[in-house]
Amino acid sequence: MRYALLVVFCAVASLSAHHSATMFDSTKVKELSGTVKEFQWKNPHVWIQLNVQNGGKVEEWSIEGGSPNTLSRNGWRPSTFSPGTAVSIKVNPMKDGQPGGQFIGAKFADGKTIGNWDRD
Amino acid sequence: MTQQNRGWGLGARGSKRFSAFAVALLLSVSADAQQPGRSAEAVALPDWSGAWQMIGPTVFDTATVEPKNGRAGDPGVRERPPYTAEYEAIYLKNIDAIKKGVFPDPISTCGVPHGMPRAFNVPDAYEFAVTPQQVWMITENGPGIIRIYTDGRQHPRSEDRWGTYTGDNIGRWEGDTLVIDTVSMKGWTEKDEILDRTGLVLSADAHVVTRLRRVDASTMEAQITVDDPKALTKSWAVTKRYRKLPAGTRVYDYACGENNRNPVSETGRTLTLGSDGKPLDKVTK
Repeated sequence: MRYALLVVFCAVASLSAHHSATMFDSTKVKELSGTVKEFQWKNPHVWIQLNVQNGGKVEEWSIEGGSPNTLSRNGWRPSTFSPGTAVSIKVNPMKDGQPGGQFIGAKFADGKTIGNWDRD
Repeated sequence: MTQQNRGWGLGARGSKRFSAFAVALLLSVSADAQQPGRSAEAVALPDWSGAWQMIGPTVFDTATVEPKNGRAGDPGVRERPPYTAEYEAIYLKNIDAIKKGVFPDPISTCGVPHGMPRAFNVPDAYEFAVTPQQVWMITENGPGIIRIYTDGRQHPRSEDRWGTYTGDNIGRWEGDTLVIDTVSMKGWTEKDEILDRTGLVLSADAHVVTRLRRVDASTMEAQITVDDPKALTKSWAVTKRYRKLPAGTRVYDYACGENNRNPVSETGRTLTLGSDGKPLDKVTK
């Protein structure tokens, strides 16, 4: 239990690695399902570019995570979101409705999860 | 080989002077070794090896945060330092700017350090290099280095120092506790330094004393006491704790400018760039 709490603290803390998160609505959780276009494993934040079907169009979402340093200590790797991977991702969306969000958790096709997927 | 052959240029008279100087130097070192803060060579230095991580969120004073468990950066979250009326007004102004989305974190430019005492309140890993003369606190985030001189030196005279992000840090050992005395921070004078993203700030007159120790095998603790004649009506005490990360943990390069997709606009709004490098934000000013 203590370890689980530590992981949550790490995740929360690392998301605020270098800038304020005021552009994201921490009171809302949006679930996106799509295909990874690109995974930017770089400091100060990792970014997942996710292609999401929206009606007849493909909408590209920019999803911001923590630093690769801390995420690597929580099981993440540069290959975690390989291009072409089908995945569902929960985010705190941007307040202005634009296709961007702050990473909360992800669930892969095989049922494995990473991050704080169980948060509603 | 004589000293002269080595080119010291000492004759018989010079040798006597050299001997007198050497004796004086030895006496000086001996005397210094008995002074507080100079005794590091004589005591066993504590083992602070490994990597550590702050426990809890990046709220500086979690004991007084409102609402309870509030996150730094969320609108309306605040702490209760014993602010003077002047600094309470500054804090409220900062809180209002956060609500409007125009309170940029100085470090978001990827060009300046967190500074002190904020260095005790950052995410990612910490490391400590403990030597008899100096202790370095190294934060992975930033990255940041706090240099703490434990060789007995004092702070420079006020006319010989100026405000820097990390300030001037001198330390002395009280058993296994490192007592760090910090002055000459930049503070909020030119909006250089914050303590956290609730908008918490101090003046350039702040004086911080931190008692840093390892309380058990897996926990370090920093008891931070802040005095600030401009910003505070009385001493403000804050305790932060750090948990040891698993043995063998690696600490990595943190190049903030590597892929910063959150630039700050001229109006102080932190933007979010899409993969094409253009702001996603509807409002950019």
